[in-house]
Formats: sequence, structure tokens, C-alpha cells
Amino acid sequence: MVSLAPACRLSARLTVRQLRRDATVRGFRASAKCLAAHNFTMPALSPTMTEGNIASWNVKEGDSFAAGDVLLEIETDKASMDVEAQDDGIMAKITQGDGSKGIKVGTRIGVIAEPGDDLNSLEVPAEDIPAKSPTKVEAPEPAPSTPSQAPKPFRSPKKQTYPLLPSVQHLLHEHGLDQSAIDKITPTGPNNRLLKGDVLAYLGSVSSTYPTELSARISKLSHLDLSNIKLALPPAPKATKQAEAASEPVVEDLEIAVPVSMKAVIEVQKRIQSTLGVFMPLSTFIARATDVANDSLPRSKSYKPTADELFNQVLGLDGAASTNGYRGSFLPQITALPELTPALNPSLVPSKKADIIDILTGNAKPSKPSFSAKPSAGISTAVNVFSVKAPKGDEKRAEVFLERVKAVLESEPGRLVL
Amino acid sequence: MFRSLVVPRAAARSAFKQNSLPKVVTPSAIARLSKRSYATEAEEKDLVIIGGGVAGYVAAIKAAQEGLKVTCIEKRGTLGGTCLNVGCIPSKALLNNSHLYHQILHDTKNRGIEVGDVKLNLAQLMKSKDTAVTGLTKGVEFLFKKNNVEYIKGEASFASEHEIQVNLNEGGERTVAGKNIIIATGSEATPFPGLEVDEKRIITSTGALALEKIPESMVVVGGGIIGLEMGSVWSRLGTKVTVVEFLGQIGGPGMDTEVSKAAQKVLKKQGIDFKLSTKVLGGDTSGDKIKLDVEAAKGGKKETLDADVVLVAIGRRPYTAGLGLEKIGLDTDERGRLVIDSEYRTKLPHIRVIGDCTFGPMLAHKAEEEAVAAVEYIKKGYGHVNYGAIPSVMYTHPEVAWVGQNEQEVKASGVKYKIGSFPFSANSRAKTNLDTEGFVKIITDAETDRILGVHIIGPGAGEMIAEGTLAIEYGASSEDIGRTSHAHPTLSEAFKEAAMSCYSSAIHF
Ligand SMILES: Cc1cc2nc3c(=O)[nH]c(=O)nc-3n(C[C@H](O)[C@H](O)[C@H](O)COP(=O)(O)OP(=O)(O)OC[C@H]3O[C@@H](n4cnc5c(N)ncnc54)[C@H](O)[C@@H]3O)c2cc1C
Repeated sequence: MVSLAPACRLSARLTVRQLRRDATVRGFRASAKCLAAHNFTMPALSPTMTEGNIASWNVKEGDSFAAGDVLLEIETDKASMDVEAQDDGIMAKITQGDGSKGIKVGTRIGVIAEPGDDLNSLEVPAEDIPAKSPTKVEAPEPAPSTPSQAPKPFRSPKKQTYPLLPSVQHLLHEHGLDQSAIDKITPTGPNNRLLKGDVLAYLGSVSSTYPTELSARISKLSHLDLSNIKLALPPAPKATKQAEAASEPVVEDLEIAVPVSMKAVIEVQKRIQSTLGVFMPLSTFIARATDVANDSLPRSKSYKPTADELFNQVLGLDGAASTNGYRGSFLPQITALPELTPALNPSLVPSKKADIIDILTGNAKPSKPSFSAKPSAGISTAVNVFSVKAPKGDEKRAEVFLERVKAVLESEPGRLVL
Repeated sequence: MFRSLVVPRAAARSAFKQNSLPKVVTPSAIARLSKRSYATEAEEKDLVIIGGGVAGYVAAIKAAQEGLKVTCIEKRGTLGGTCLNVGCIPSKALLNNSHLYHQILHDTKNRGIEVGDVKLNLAQLMKSKDTAVTGLTKGVEFLFKKNNVEYIKGEASFASEHEIQVNLNEGGERTVAGKNIIIATGSEATPFPGLEVDEKRIITSTGALALEKIPESMVVVGGGIIGLEMGSVWSRLGTKVTVVEFLGQIGGPGMDTEVSKAAQKVLKKQGIDFKLSTKVLGGDTSGDKIKLDVEAAKGGKKETLDADVVLVAIGRRPYTAGLGLEKIGLDTDERGRLVIDSEYRTKLPHIRVIGDCTFGPMLAHKAEEEAVAAVEYIKKGYGHVNYGAIPSVMYTHPEVAWVGQNEQEVKASGVKYKIGSFPFSANSRAKTNLDTEGFVKIITDAETDRILGVHIIGPGAGEMIAEGTLAIEYGASSEDIGRTSHAHPTLSEAFKEAAMSCYSSAIHF
């Protein structure tokens, strides 16, 4: 059954989180209505898991389980894993049986009750619709938390799931009250905690409504008093420009380009061929230039530095440390620019559909590159535009890279042959 | 990418050749090259925060941890706001070291420690304070980096409801836009009409944290926490300090009257003079000494006080100057506080306000709680601060700390109450430490025994109040504390015994 030990540990941890989340949800709703059970949903067993299949349940409806018991086995396309219970409880209902396939993370697969809950009188919670995305910025309007939201005079008893306060425990023992009595006492403490005063009210030593009144008073103090705000005299309101500057969409990948002349490369190429009889294609020069230029680039802005590096930066100690730079993996795209005015170098104009043969036979003199000229495909023997796409934060790296490619190809292509 | 750093060059190159021959692209691609596109100037963030004080920086880090893209704008040049730069932290540095000095001068001999020549090096005292401040502000900067919070140094003002213009400290301007905006611009010392602050002779707490020499005499206008803390520092270093307070008690209206009286007695013994229920009429700075005219608050007896330095500590007021609130029509109340609803929203719901520049007590930990709650409202639609359980601490010696309601307030609310108190003079640890001033006072509801307030004056009160805060947060009764074990011998036993004397009786008193 234990298929992946580490994964099991992972699954257990995720269950904790889920149960905790469920618990908070209960806490929020508790003042309005007490839920006696909560939904158990398909857990995400890895950050990328979106859905899973239920191989088999290890518990039946109505079974009690203890923290650490394996509740079910879940399969994903990658692995199968056990899901362990984090707290003691009862499997009140199983809504997705053995063999259910393709269940989205967050979808209800069962209902869990607290240990000791009576399943017959259990209120089954509505199914939570799984949140589309956890990053909702526009959150649903929660009920205004005004003091009027103080606890209602008569709340129903609420099951105590926390250890009882020492004073409460003492009173219960002193008066011989048992679990069934506890369940009848109305709690007035924060998050429905049973307080000493609640037991005293139950025993009749203080008025039965007093603890609730006191709680309402205390809960009022727990909010900022925003009533009776006296506004400062407003200065004459000026017409405000509502015009919302249409901000341009965020550019994720940036394209950065430089023109590079191939003249020097072609000269070297020719010299090699004439002296050594070896033909080196232009692509080899470019590939080698790319390799050299990728060496020790400045660091990407989106690089996540370690805590030590950050601390050194804050203290200004980083200068000495990282002068080595960081290797890049840029790959330029190359677009040929046609000669500007054929009249200037009539013999050298590459045909519109320049192919590699044209390029290798040409000995173009570069003319000033112009972006307005109509570009043509292929590598020109004259000027080509080398461009790379850089993710945001990497612009600087990309620029340095292209400048190096340009420098190597234009001024020292000989280096690339050695 | 980094692995290739350690791969031998040749290997790297041959690996490279196989799969990375340059691509040749079609002409259409080149059209795009002409507009070399960089991120636009007014890039929109999920959250822009104005002010890098406690409220602002905590909100920034919390929001970044929640996955939001955050920018924080601070004009001071360092992060941490009032608290880290000119508030909580430097004041506590001076309080701690001046206490040490004072103790060596006056309190070591009878403990059997004879110290020779004791000299005060004020410059070094200030330097050690500055070291603490720098360490902490840099620490916040580090946390910004670690959490990827963009930090802009400059002064922010609203250009429109979503856009903020920043006058950069290094020169130039920049505009940032935010889907959500948090205003956390804090507070400043309230000036006293007729006393012009120059931070040399007429000073606020900021000047009091950086005096270059020890003044012979100082009048502190305002006997609230800040005035008493700064007054204590200089009094310990040798200045003759007189505190003039308009109200009939020191420590501000939140302090329990019984505690306030006890504090005044102890501070008086330490050499600070008090003039309560006294009004400052005005001052004359033309002479060598500043002449301060005061009279009894209810009218009558006038008097002139002489001082080398006058510390104006009559409170703080929200700081929103230069924000351009009028441009977007945000309201402030008559005391300058930005108007908010219970979720910290202004009338423009994407703009929220937290910390000293809005309602509630002006405390760093209150600002911090609000920062987390505001971010949670933005991210999750629900946040919470329990204003009924925010502790206050005055870091004099002995310290004063409280949480919940004081006796005056409980009395006024008409609730029947009980009080349990326990003096440190009956606490074994305080006795062994020869530091027995003060007491713990717990106020409970007479019917239910629920704790309504906890008030402590005594050594370590500021640490001990955490227990009281927890008790109130959880709705505990005094019996719950009395039935919880407290280590022996510790000062905290006084807390337990005070609780016991509420619902039954203390054992050791
Ligand atoms: C002497 C002293 C001692 C104190 N001791 C304590 C203590 O012991 N315990 C305690 O809890 N509290 C203490 N306080 C109070 C505490 O410092 C404040 O409650 C806390 O700093 C409030 O935080 P904040 O973020 O709201 O505002 P602030 O800390 O004031 O921060 C606001 C920041 O916003 C910046 N800002 C303002 N306008 C703009 C703008 N337009 N553009 C860019 N930036 C802007 C300011 O430069 C400032 O740095 C003390 C205060 C003082 C003065």
C-alpha cells in the first residue's frame, strides 16, 4: 500500500492544510450557523496536480478513524499516494466512490464529522464550489463587520473541539456535569469557546443571558469605533480628471536587436578557404560567436538570489563576490537587411531570395543599415539584424549578449576559427 | 544554465553545436524590431503602498508572500518609518543604555559591585543607537529583496485614482499604477502653537533622540508615554527634567489611574518633577535659557519655567501632506485621520489606509496587525484585528504595560467588577533582584470572572503583558490563569497570584 514514502508524507501535510482551511471556514460561519460536519475534498498531492482518481477507500461510511489512519488511495498520472487523516473523526459520507476518475482538486469526495458526532442528526454541508484560482483579488464582499454583528442573544450550543479551559473543566467536575451537559451549554467566548461564565450561567449562578451581553460588550470594543466621524471641512473640490491612462499591456518577452556586418567574417572565411582549403559556413561562425558571447553575462533581474547574496547586497558587500557573471543561453535570430540603394554597389545586391550560395559567393561591402529598408530572408553577406527574445528582467543580459556577438563577428572573427 | 559553468569548455561547446544552430527568420519578424519594446513606464502593480513604515513594510512583505506584485514607496531614504528611524527602536536603545549607566552610578555598590570611574560618552551612546537603527532598517530592506518587493525611494502623490506620481529622491519622476493602493504615511509630532521647533532647543522626540550634549535642564510639555520615556533618558544622564501635563494624570488617558499614580511616584523618586493640570501658555527663546509661561489648567496661578531645552510631546497627528488627497477626493476627519470603513477602505474601495494616519491607537504593533488584515482583505476578502486586545507599553523603569480596559473605563461602563492585585515586593524573583517596585492588577467581570483588563507596573511589565493579551484574546477568566503553572522563581508568578486573588486569594500575600 505504501507506494511512495516521501509522497505519503507530502500528502499528509497537504491534508493538514486542507483540514485547517476547512476549520477556518467553519469558524467564520459559526456565528451565523453551526456546521456540524465539513467537506473533505480532493487534495492536491503535488503543486501541479489538477485532478486525480480514487483507487480505493480504506474506510467505509460511518467508520471512525484516528489521526494518521490512511483514508484512501489516490492515483494521478504520475503516482499513487495514500491520504492520511490528520485529526480523529468519522467518515460521515463518501460522495466519490472507489474507482472514480478525473476528480478535480478541491471537489468534494466525502464528508467528515468530528469524533463523537451523531451521524443521524448531522447537518451535511453544501458542496463548496472549488475556487477557480486561489488568487482572487476581487474577493466577495464579506458582511460588514460592524458592532451590530455582535453575537445574537441566543446561540445554539456548539460542540467544543478545543481543550476546555481549566476553569471550565474544574466547574464541570465540581458539579458532576458530563459530556451531554457540555453539549447543552451555550458558549459565548471568541470562536464559540466555552467560558467559565457560560458554565456559571448554565448552573444558574449568574443570569442566563448575562454572558452573552458581556460578550457583546467586549466584542464591540474589539472593533475600531468608526461612528460619529466628523469630517474635516473639505477644501473646494477640484474637478478631478477621471481619465484613466490606458496603460499599455505588460510586455513579457522583449525583442532586442542589433545590426551586424558580416564583412569581416566573409574575409576570414575566404582566407581560410584559400590558405587551408577548408570551407567554414557562416553558420559556424555565428554559432561560435553565440557561444563566446553567452559566457558570463550579467545576472538576470528575475534571478532569485539566495538569502546570503541578498544580505551582502544590502550591506554593499556583493561587489567583490560575483564578478564572474552568469552564463546565458541566448540564440539569436538572424534577418538579412538588403542593400539600401542598388545604385551604390550595383554588383553586390543579393537577389531577393538570397540563399546560402549567394551569400557565400558574395563579397558585399556593408552599407549603413536601415530599419526602414525592406528586409529579406536569409543571411546577408552585408548587414544582418541579430535579434533575441528576452524575458522581462533579462533585457540587459540580452543587450550585452548581442553587443558581444557583434563585436566578435565584426572585429575579430579570426578568434572563432581557432 | 548555471550547471554549464562547471562543464569544461570543450564539452560545453560541442553540446552547444548540436542543437543551437542559428535560426533564420522571415522578413515579417523584422517589422517588430523597430519598436524595441520595454516595459511601459506606468506598469500596473497589484498593490502599491505609500509609506515604508511599519504599516507599509509589513503590508508589502505580506502581500508579496501572498503572491501579489508589490511596490512600496518611501521618501525617507530608509525603511521602517517613524518606529525604526526615530521612534520605538532608537528610543529603546537610549532607554536601555541610559538605564544601565544610571544603575552603574546608583545601584551597583549595594549589590557588591564597585565600579571605578564611570564616564558617559554621549557620542558613543548615540552611535550605538544608530547601529541598532541601521541594522534594523537594512534588515527590512533585505526582507524586501528577499520577497521581491519593489522599493522606490521618493515622495508619492496621487496623479489619479490608480496612478501615483513619485518624485524620486535621486532626481526625476516616475509614475506607478496600482490595482490596489495602501496609504500608510504615518504620523508626525503635533506642534505646539507658539513654540517653534528647531530640533536643537525646542525639540520633538526626534531631536530628543539626537541631542549633542546633555542639557542642564529640560521641560517636557506633555506627560504621555513618549514624553516620559524621553524625559527618563535625559534625567538618567543628568538633566533636570520637569514634566508639564495638562491632564490630572501622567501616561495618557489609557493608563489606569492607580498605575499612573504609582508610576509618577517612582519617576519622581528618580528625580523627575511633575506639574499636572498645568497649561503651557507660550515661550520665549530669545535669551540663553528658554522661558516657558505656564498656569494651572483651571486658571489662576501663573509661573515661568526656565529650561535649556523644551521637548514638545503633546501627541502625534496623521501625516498626509503632499499626498494629493484632494485630487482624488479622499476625506479626513477633523483630526486629520483618513476616513475608512471597517475593512480599511476609503470611499474609493481600491484605496485602503492603515497605521498612524487613520483611526485607532498610534502603535507600531497595531499598524502591523492592520497591515496583515488589509492585505488579507485584498487577497481573501476577510481580515481581522482585535482592537480590544492591543497592549500598550511604557519603557521607563519600572515599565508600565496594560491591555484591555482600565478601572476608570470599566467603572464608567457600569459593569460590576473585581480587582485582583499583587505587589512585586511579595514576589520572590523581584526580591532577589532587589527590584520590587510595582504591582500586577487584574480587573475581571464580577459575575463571570472574565478578564476585562490587565495593568502592570514593574520590572519586565512589557514582556509580561503578553500573557494578559493572550488571556483577553481567548476570553479567559482569572481562574484560568490561576490554574496554569508559572515557573518559580519568576516575575510572572506575580501575574498568577494577582489572578488568584481575583477569584479566590493569593497564596503569598
Ligand atoms: C519617540 C517615539 C517612540 C515610539 N515608541 C513606540 C513604541 O515603543 N511602541 C510602539 O508600538 N510604538 C511606538 N511609537 C509609535 C510608532 O512609531 C508608530 O505607531 C509607527 O511608526 C506607525 O507606523 P506607520 O507605518 O503607520 O507610520 P510611520 O512609521 O510614521 O511611517 C510612515 C512612513 O511614510 C513615509 N511617507 C509619508 N508620506 C509619504 C509620501 N507622500 N511618499 C512616500 N513616503 C511617505 C514617511 O517618510 C514614513 O517613513 C513611537 C513613536 C515615537 C515618535
